[in-house]
Amino acid sequence: MRDAIVMVHDVSKIYRLGTAEVPALCDVSLDIRRGEFLSIAGPSGSGKTTLLNLIGCIDTPTSGSVIVDGKDTRGLSERALTALRLQRIGFVFQTFNLVQVLSVWQNVEFPLLLKGGLSRKERDTRVRALLDAVGLTRYARHRPSELSGGQRQRVAVARALVTGPALVLADEPTANLDSRTGETIVDLMKKMNARDGTTFIFSTHDPRVMAHATDVVRIADGQVVEREATERAVAARGA
Amino acid sequence: MKTKIGTTGVLLQIAFRNLFASKTKSLIVGGIILVGSMIAVVGSSVVDSIDAGMRGSVQGSLGGQLQVYSARSKDDLALYGKMGGEASQLEPIEEFAALKRVVAAVPNVKEVVPMGLDSAMVNSGNELDQALEKLRADVRQRNRKGGDPALDARYASHKAHVRRMATLLRKELQDGRSIVDAEYLEENAQEQADLARAAADAFWAGFDQDPLGNLEFLENRIAPQSLSNAFTMVRYVGTDLESYSRAFDRMHVVEGTMVPKGKRGILIGKLFAEDWLKLKAARLLDRVRDARTSRNRRIARDVELQRWLKEARGQTREILLKLDPMGADEAVARLRRALGSQETDLQALLVALFTCDDSSFDRHYAIFYESVAPLLDLYSVRVGDVITLKAASKSGYMKSVNVKVWGFLEFRGLEKATAAGWVSILDIVSWRDLYGYMTSEKAAEIRAIKRNVGVRDVTREKAEAELFGSGSGATPADDAARQGRIEVPSFARTLHLQSDADMAGRGYTQDEVDGGVALNAALVLRDTTRAKETMRDVRAALAAAHMNMKVVSWEEAAGALGQFVALARIILYTAVFFIFLVALVIINNATVMATLQRVKSIGTLRAIGAQKRFVVAMLLVETSAVGVAFGAAGALLGAGVVELVRFVGGIPATNEDLSFFFSGPSLVPRLGTVSLAISIGIVLVVSVLSGLYPALIATRITPLEAMQSED
Repeated sequence: MRDAIVMVHDVSKIYRLGTAEVPALCDVSLDIRRGEFLSIAGPSGSGKTTLLNLIGCIDTPTSGSVIVDGKDTRGLSERALTALRLQRIGFVFQTFNLVQVLSVWQNVEFPLLLKGGLSRKERDTRVRALLDAVGLTRYARHRPSELSGGQRQRVAVARALVTGPALVLADEPTANLDSRTGETIVDLMKKMNARDGTTFIFSTHDPRVMAHATDVVRIADGQVVEREATERAVAARGA
Repeated sequence: MKTKIGTTGVLLQIAFRNLFASKTKSLIVGGIILVGSMIAVVGSSVVDSIDAGMRGSVQGSLGGQLQVYSARSKDDLALYGKMGGEASQLEPIEEFAALKRVVAAVPNVKEVVPMGLDSAMVNSGNELDQALEKLRADVRQRNRKGGDPALDARYASHKAHVRRMATLLRKELQDGRSIVDAEYLEENAQEQADLARAAADAFWAGFDQDPLGNLEFLENRIAPQSLSNAFTMVRYVGTDLESYSRAFDRMHVVEGTMVPKGKRGILIGKLFAEDWLKLKAARLLDRVRDARTSRNRRIARDVELQRWLKEARGQTREILLKLDPMGADEAVARLRRALGSQETDLQALLVALFTCDDSSFDRHYAIFYESVAPLLDLYSVRVGDVITLKAASKSGYMKSVNVKVWGFLEFRGLEKATAAGWVSILDIVSWRDLYGYMTSEKAAEIRAIKRNVGVRDVTREKAEAELFGSGSGATPADDAARQGRIEVPSFARTLHLQSDADMAGRGYTQDEVDGGVALNAALVLRDTTRAKETMRDVRAALAAAHMNMKVVSWEEAAGALGQFVALARIILYTAVFFIFLVALVIINNATVMATLQRVKSIGTLRAIGAQKRFVVAMLLVETSAVGVAFGAAGALLGAGVVELVRFVGGIPATNEDLSFFFSGPSLVPRLGTVSLAISIGIVLVVSVLSGLYPALIATRITPLEAMQSED
């Protein structure tokens, strides 16, 4: 596939617990195209978080290859992986993971500061636009602890998108939210997917959240069971 | 570049906000650092000030900046005695003049002062001896030119004085009879009979028939029985007095005059005189007064002061012995008036005088000094007296010299310091006599005698070689050292006695003062900050002149005393080291704990793209910020404490040794910039060190941690 942003080939991941070896993924292969809004579904312990970690360059496979945005993660150093995460990938976590001591604005701005290369003005424009997009402009000066769960997750989404990544990974982004709030978050992500064409990959075991995805990859016992293409959605965008 | 600043900014922001987010941890860590740096600042200021005080004390009294002594010496030079208080054994500098020539040529050397440190016994004679001496003078005068009314009255009074003393001695012996056994009494029957005779009316009625014979009886049979025949040891430095007073300007004469140039004589340390030569009751009163005024102690609640007063009451006999009947009557009259008493017995009056509480002490003290003291000789040695110094010479036999006391001396700032205040200063010619070395004039005298009797100069050591050919292990230098020594005690003794009288009177030229032995030489420098390089120069000059000498700094020369400061510094730094070691462990633990609590947030930072070095920098900024802030606060607080101590007048020297270390009555600490910098440096190092391990742990936190759901 020419426009695949993620290519996973024959990937296995084995964790060592003492002397026991626990296989988390077995020979998984998966291609993800640019602009997809992909859900990885499966029961807990099925290996979906492991797969996300491998794609997100925060872990490396025991065997097989993971190619993200044209870069094979196998040959990369720890520093290069960190740089790759910073440049190309955004993260949304199950537990929001905002920096408690920074304001909403600073949390969103933070990846831009790490990345560098932008003037203060450019940064301000981007942060303001994103806060606006997630509807939190009036909370810019607030600390995360002063916000509701849904609001925090929206800050997280804004933070994930602020560097203009090719790919956003979200691990159970709605698990800590009530179902209504969860849906608004998925709606928000989808809106951003539609607006900028950013690829979203999120794991979930909530069928209602899954319904929003263009593709659903089902995983069980460390293996891809099936891939349900919601082709019409992709086709509608003419990809 | 701009974003570099942006990154740093956000790093600092996160770091500082984290500090405020975990206040308890920051305060605990900060508190420890604060206390530590405060102790470091106060401690090092105090030690620095002691160092400076010691420097003043040692350099200004005996040390100078450098000391030179023979490298062949067994001991190291210890100006204030070795650990046990003994004088150090030094090999003499044979020809001081030669050394002086070499050393004085070094540009930075201002003064080269010859020294011989030793101690000698002083016998000032007992009261009975003194009374008998007065009586003998009267008798001589009467025999020479007959009596006159004034002389007769004095003669009668002196006779009565001696008789009173004999009576007192006898009474004392009778009082003691009940507690001694019969055997003792039998053994001492002769003494008792003598005392009985000396106290009897018959003896005194017939005294004038043979005054000289009777005086002899008193001197030989009664005087030895007087128990107050005490020797005291006086520590002195034999030196070129003129050069000494130029070099050590802290020394000043408080009573009497400087020994005239080229004369023999001694200046006695004022504090030594106070402690050892003063009437004991007066000394005890002084001590009570000092304790009351300068240490705020009170008789009512201080057993020691009570004991001193009790001791003073036990010392009244000494005062009675010192007074002849005329003086005693006067004292009774004065005390009755001053105390408003009807008592007629002097001893009872004195006991009443020494019985006082906090309200009456000052008045009684004044009465003693105004009414009683003028009638007495408060000190057993007065300016103008000739005292006899006795000491074991180098070759072991006793030597003695008579020297005139020209005055009493003090060292400015060291008035109360035993180590300096007990030192007396003796002319070097007399010291050479005591030490058993020939003065150049004696050497000449001996040479003349030897020429006359035709002996060859053969020393004991050389005798073997002379008889059996060479082969003795002695080096030429050793031989030279021994040649100067007088080897035949009796011979020297005779010479000594013969020349004593005219020696005391005659003057000595600078050549004679310089031309002989010394044990060590103190060097006073023009520029005292260049002591180190001058030491090198002096060493080089001595080596060039083939003189086998050691050159040491004043610190080294001060011996055990000099090591005190080094010791204090070691103790302080050890204490600081341990405080900070404990601090390091506690801070480390606290920071590790804090880091472990932040695993998830650090993992998140890593996941969203922060490099390891960002995390490390963040943690180091956190710990060092705490270190700097609280370290600076502690240093400021310490500076405040130092200033406060200065404001209240310093740390009082509560004993005489301390006043030497403090170089004055109290230690006024000064904030040293160097010690301040060192303390702050230590704080910084510790805070960075204590942040390193937590930072290392933080680098092991992977971005995976961000994915963990909350516990």
